[in-house]
Formats: sequence, structure tokens, C-alpha cells
Amino acid sequence: MDRMGTVTVVRCPAMLWFEREVVGALVTSEDRTVRSSVEAFVDGSLRDMPELLRAGVAGESVLLGAYAAVLRARGRLDRDGVIGLLDTLDGLSLPLLGQYPRLMRSLVLMAENELTTGSAADTRRA
Amino acid sequence: MTRLDTDILVIGSGAGGAVSAAHLAAAGRRVTIVEEGPWVGPDEVEPFGLDEMAIKYRNHGLAPALGSPTIAYAEGRCVGGSTEVNSGLYHRLPDHLADEWRTTYAIDEWSPEVLARYSARIESELSVTTVPGAPPASSAVLSRGASKLGWRNVEFARVFAYDKEGRGTKQTMSRTFLPRALASGAELLPDTRVLKLVRDGTRVIGAQARRSHPGGGVERLDISAEHVFVCGGATQTPALLHRSGWRRGIGTGLKLHPTIKIAARFGHPLDHGDVPMHRITEFSPNLTIGGSANRKGQVAMALADTGVPFEEALADWENVSVYYAAIRSEGSGRVIGLPRLKAPVVTYSLTEGDMSRLARGLIHLGEALLAAGAIELYPSVVGGPVVRDTSELGVWWDRVNRSTAGLMTVHLTSSVRMGEDRSRAGADSFGRVHGATNLRVNDASLLPDAPGVNPQATIMAIAARNVDHFLSGA
Repeated sequence: MDRMGTVTVVRCPAMLWFEREVVGALVTSEDRTVRSSVEAFVDGSLRDMPELLRAGVAGESVLLGAYAAVLRARGRLDRDGVIGLLDTLDGLSLPLLGQYPRLMRSLVLMAENELTTGSAADTRRA
Repeated sequence: MTRLDTDILVIGSGAGGAVSAAHLAAAGRRVTIVEEGPWVGPDEVEPFGLDEMAIKYRNHGLAPALGSPTIAYAEGRCVGGSTEVNSGLYHRLPDHLADEWRTTYAIDEWSPEVLARYSARIESELSVTTVPGAPPASSAVLSRGASKLGWRNVEFARVFAYDKEGRGTKQTMSRTFLPRALASGAELLPDTRVLKLVRDGTRVIGAQARRSHPGGGVERLDISAEHVFVCGGATQTPALLHRSGWRRGIGTGLKLHPTIKIAARFGHPLDHGDVPMHRITEFSPNLTIGGSANRKGQVAMALADTGVPFEEALADWENVSVYYAAIRSEGSGRVIGLPRLKAPVVTYSLTEGDMSRLARGLIHLGEALLAAGAIELYPSVVGGPVVRDTSELGVWWDRVNRSTAGLMTVHLTSSVRMGEDRSRAGADSFGRVHGATNLRVNDASLLPDAPGVNPQATIMAIAARNVDHFLSGA
């Protein structure tokens, strides 16, 4: 694990294809540095998860990735399609599937918002 | 493989381990401290930021206590343990809880007076104080809201030292007890994970460990020790004991403070670099209301927990801060250490009473924030709704349930409870593991129950007491 700038960059990314697609779809910034830094943070978080939790998330990613790959092959999966798929999962009343989009959204939101604001020392004090 | 030999092996360098090591070393004992996490310079990373999560937290601050609902928890994993990443709030154990624990768990030589004596000693060794001057705006919100409602509230003291300009420095273990331990001759091995304890019948004769070197490479360590103090915290301590063959009374009875949050939007900016130090104590110790870390990243996550559109509020994030209601839970959990897995399985079961208390806590928190002038409240409840007026708060009663509530905690305790009642406790009144002659636990695991307040003060006082008992040779 190397530290570069304000984020930790992990070599040999542990992210799976679909996880990378999800992060790419959720990041709103077009800045390549921000996008790669968010991806690196999510990658590090997934790699550092308790093993059993990581296994569960990876299993969901493989299943969802297989479905997404079929949609992509038919030309029906772009950025909006990935987000739509997450929204569908979020709306299901199945706790395990519902937690998947929440987890990925939380990680991306945390990282992107931290990376696109000044340090706490710079933050205006009321 | 490297062989090391020591008199006393202290595993873990947080509030329990650092106090143990410092007091043992000061008494002239040969002490080796091993810490799984890295040594990070006190000012090397920004508090509550991404680097801190990546470097100082276990699992990047992302671990679940499995159950319905699952409760996210975070704990430190670096030299100094969770004292390096927490808010530094300091609160002595309420006397009535000390009395209750003594009778329920049959704890010898334990009373509010004994605990007060050790707390005073710890306080004389740290700097425990309130903020000089006016509190920050995010903290004053709690005081203002509570006062308007006629509720008790207090500014908690923190383990902070302030210079003449009023700049505060948190007195973490890496700034206080650990340097003292090293000055007394203790040795500290960071990046060193203990895989298992080596036992000979009822005696521990050492530990097998693995040390990672910053430049790469892993070294196997065999450490021989006369005595072992396990201070890895409420999840890691029972997991290590399980991996080493101790199971009776170990890992059961886990307690935590389930916490539900609100992202509150105001019509004016708030500070975002610190954690509010005020607490609403009107309903304590069973329900405490306070404030959380509230940098932009945390504000964004808290807003998103509601599961309704929040982009407009996020754009106004400097006017938003995050607050919580934490309960003392009737439920309990388990920690199970599994062979070949680094992370233990942690479970927790909330009772129906707990769920009801969480809903009540959320509503009380909402009342206080609206009384303080909040204009929008985003609860950590999927589907919300967002509330703008006290007349709307009642909706949350029906919305808080096991599938919608987003819960978290940073206080885990009670996984190796102390006491002479072996049906309930994994360790004796002074932390010695039942059935072992020279193996002690000295961390949050020993607390028989969740204290309802930040447990750091209680952990440190108990650690100092238990070391005194050990040194007395009793």
C-alpha cells in the first residue's frame, strides 16, 4: 500500500469488473484525478473488509456483473443503466441485495466529497 | 524467524494496553508491546479524513455486527488504538452502574470509591478539561436546543491540552502513556499481529506473531513471556483467545451503544473540523444525544442514509451537521474468532425494546435540533421522511424498524466480562482469564456492560487498577 497525496493507493486492485463499473457510474466528477482517487479509496476499502463480508460482496458483484455483462452485450447498459440497476436493488425488500448499492454509494460519496473539498483546517469556522 | 524474550507481553496499544504498559514499565518490569497497526505520527493525517480511515482504522472503518438490523462499527488499528481516532470525550463511569456491576457480576474489591481513586490518578496523568472559551457552533446547537426544551445538557470534558492561543491537542496514547512506557524501558513493535498464544496447560508461555515491514516483507516472531496482557479491544481480544483455545465465557455478552443519526440543516454555517462536545443528558444513561464527525464526506453519507433526494442539502453542506442518539441496549452479541480468518465474526441482536428506544431517541434528537433552529432533518432511516417541523416528528415512530434503520456504533465492550461469577464472566475480578494462571485481559472487553457514555475513562481506570493488583502479587 502506498500513500500518494491525500489518498491511499493500493497496488493490485482487488475490485471486480462490476464494482469498477459501479464506482465509475456513481462518481459525478469528470476530473480524472478525482475519479481515480475515489476508485483507489473504494478499492482499498473493499480489500480491507472483513473476509466474510468481502466474500459476500464479491459474490453479489459476480452475479450482478454477469447480468450487467449480458445487458452490455445487447447495448443496454450505460452509466444510467448501472445507476438504474442500483436503484432497482435499493427498492427491493431483500436486505442483503439492498445493502449492496448502499455500501457502494456510501464509499463513493464519502471519498468524492472528501476529495472535492478543502481540508478541515481550511473549512470555515462559524 | 526471530525469537524475542520478555517479562510481560502487552498485546494492543490502545487505552487499556498503553496504560497497562506504562504502569508496568514504571514499576520496573520488562515490557514488550505489540500492536497490529502502524505507528503514525500524531499530526501525519487529518482527523476524520480519508487518510485516517485508510491508515488508522481497522477495515477502513467499515465492519458490521451482523444481525437484524446489521450495525456498522468502527475501531482504531494503529499505535494508540481507538484513542487516536475518537473524539477524546472523557466521562467517568456513573456510580450507580459501578454498584450494579459489582453485585450482578460478583466483582471483588470494586466500588465507586475505588474506581474514583483510579480515575483521579488517570486524570492527573492526562489533561482532562473542557474547551476554553465559547464552544464551537455545532456543539452549542445541542446546548441551545436542550435549554429551550428544559432538558439537562452538559459540555463533556475531553482528554485535550490547550496552549495559550486556545489550540487543542488530543492527548492520545501515542502522545501520553506510550512515550512514558518507552521512557521506562518498554519496547514497542508496531505492524505486528499476534496469530495465537502458545500455552502449556493453564499457562501461556508466549505468542506467535507476524511482523510486516514498511518496505515489504513479513517476519515471523516467536515471543516468550512470563505474563501476557491481552488488550486488543472488544472484538480482537476474544478472537485471539478463541484462536488460542480459550472459549468459556469468551466472546459472549458483547455490548455496544446502537446509534441512530440525523443530518440537520440550519440557516447558518457550522464548524466542521471537530466533534461537538456537548451532550444532552436528560435521558441518560439509557439514551444520550450528541454530535458526530461532520466533515463533508460524513455529511454526505448521513444525508444519503435517508434514501431521499439530498443534492440540494449537500450543496449547502456547510450549514449541515450530523447528530446522534445512542442507547444502552438490552440486547447482546457474540464475537467468534475463526481459524485462518483475520477478522472475527461479530453478531448483535437488538430487542424490540431497543428498537423502541432508538425510535424515541430519534424523535427526542429531532425535537432538540428543531428547537435549536434546524430547518431540515434527514434521519438515518430509509425513506425518511425529511422533517421540517415538530408536528411531523411522530411519523418516525412507525418508520424506524429493523429493515429501515441505519445504525452504527463506535463503542464495543463486554466480550470478556470480569467477575467471580463464572457463568457470566470470562475473566476474574482483576482481568485474569478464568482457567489461566498468567493470562490477563485489560481492555474494553472487561466492562460487564455498556456504560452509556464514552468508555475510555472506565477502560483506563480499570486497567490501572488491574495492573496495581498484578504488581501487588495477589
